[in-house]
Amino acid sequence: MEPPPAAAPSYPTERKPVRQPKLSAIEGGANTAAGEARGFRLKDRLHSTSGGYLLGALSIGAVLLGWYLATRYKLDFYVRFGNIPAPADVWHSVLEVNHSSKFLVNIGISVRRVLLGFLLAAGGGVLLGILVGRYRIFRSLTMPAMEVFRPIPAIAWVPMAIMLWPSNEVSIVFITFLGAFFPILINTIHGVEEIDEVLFRAAHSLGAREKDVILYVVIPGALQHIFTGLAIGMGVAWVSLIAAEMISGQFGIGYFTWEAYSLISYPDIALGMITIGILGLLCSKAINIASKLAMPWMAMSAGAKK
Amino acid sequence: MSAQPMNAQAGHIEVRDLNISFKARGETVQAVKSVSLNVQPGEFVSLIGPSGCGKSTLMNAVAGFTQFNSGSLTLDSKRIEGPGSDRGVVFQQYSLFPWMTVRRNVEFGLKMKGVSQAQRETQARTLLGLAGLLAFENHYPSQLSGGMKQRVGIVRALATSPQVLLMDEPFGALDSQTRSVMQEILTNMWQKLRLSVLFITHDIEEAIFLSDRIYVMTARPGRVKAEIKVPLPRPRRPEMMDTPEFQTMIRSIKKLIREESLAAMGSELSDGGYGGLSMEIGPEGVAHVL
Repeated sequence: MEPPPAAAPSYPTERKPVRQPKLSAIEGGANTAAGEARGFRLKDRLHSTSGGYLLGALSIGAVLLGWYLATRYKLDFYVRFGNIPAPADVWHSVLEVNHSSKFLVNIGISVRRVLLGFLLAAGGGVLLGILVGRYRIFRSLTMPAMEVFRPIPAIAWVPMAIMLWPSNEVSIVFITFLGAFFPILINTIHGVEEIDEVLFRAAHSLGAREKDVILYVVIPGALQHIFTGLAIGMGVAWVSLIAAEMISGQFGIGYFTWEAYSLISYPDIALGMITIGILGLLCSKAINIASKLAMPWMAMSAGAKK
Repeated sequence: MSAQPMNAQAGHIEVRDLNISFKARGETVQAVKSVSLNVQPGEFVSLIGPSGCGKSTLMNAVAGFTQFNSGSLTLDSKRIEGPGSDRGVVFQQYSLFPWMTVRRNVEFGLKMKGVSQAQRETQARTLLGLAGLLAFENHYPSQLSGGMKQRVGIVRALATSPQVLLMDEPFGALDSQTRSVMQEILTNMWQKLRLSVLFITHDIEEAIFLSDRIYVMTARPGRVKAEIKVPLPRPRRPEMMDTPEFQTMIRSIKKLIREESLAAMGSELSDGGYGGLSMEIGPEGVAHVL
């Protein structure tokens, strides 16, 4: 029997990493800390993996239930649920859109735009960030111009981008790029600046030349901040993409969602939104996994998560 | 550590009439004033003085991190013009690369020299084995205790077989127990390697226990106030700290440093230099106390 849900306080569905005392350091580095003692209290059970899934299911279930009830009884209290599609309607449109490849093509186009824009921003942002963070001359040369462009939201570029680039497709990728670029650039610069000066001295005293310093000190040293930038950049890339697709697009999941509104096929609006949410989630998960693979040393510090 | 082929004649540091000043908030601060000192090949020399006396600045100049204004700085008659792997450096703060395992940290200097991966690994493992750290070769620095980090730091500095080891208060951040263990490890390692060491500290006992010679520096601007030979036999044992000889040396150095600390405070209070309190000894400002 699972514990009754009524007694369960509302825990966040994601488990926060619990900071554990660094036993390994005290014991001389041997990573032998045994698994946490199993708790018998309700609180401990809810913090276990299966408890986490249960709470997650509860939290999503509550949203679905609220959505169902609100649309079932067409609630109208300033917020109007009259035209809002019910969960079942959305489920029908999930089954329906799969009859043709149109929906999947829209997803594919959006993913391609986001990846193109994001990868260009990642490459450019990290490269420029390292140069600016490491060399004063680059900072003086590029940052004043960057500071002029930085406060302009990517979406504000839409009309200009349409005029600037030869095709709609390129201008949408450009707007996505702009959205991702600045967070990545700023975080990379910050990451390079944060590196402890003593590490540069250590590298130099061990015979490292500038190329080695960049490769073995600057890049790994800034990596944590770079990944922060990538995660934020990915989020902003999606925001910019969807906005650009809604305003100027042909194809794409943002266009699909806006088109659904124009064509009064309301369930498709919700379907589009949910799809965008899932795609965004998958992208940020991918960055999360990449960061863990790229920085194995981070898992070892500050209370290793199991 | 017989893996290290050592040239018995190499590792002669000569500092002559060195002046270092830097700008802080628009004011020029003289950190080191006409300092002359030397480290003979295979000698263990400590530099001791009140905090802020410029001893770290001096070491940074020898390491090649800091520019100096005038004077000369040579290693085996070659001018020191920047950092290099002929001078291993052990820092006060932990300076291991957090993203490299213990072994990769130790291998780093060899990698910079272009030593092959297989050879690097063998050499690093040999050194780590001698330092009793082989079990931790695949650990990341964050998994080590402070004393172990500093031991890896020393092993890393030694991996490229430098002629000289420069150590800037390497045990300053450790608790006193770990500290005395580290001192013993270091003196044993040095006994085997016989390379030149320039060791910065403000701990008098540490300086006496480890060194062949000690330079006592004045308060800022740092100058050499006295040069003291340590007559204790080698190898050094912790029991030697209890001998009357050792205690006498502590007292005389303490006296020299106290004068300087007082002078430093006096100059702060009167803002008029410390000339009145410091003793001017000998033509080069060097006293042979013992």
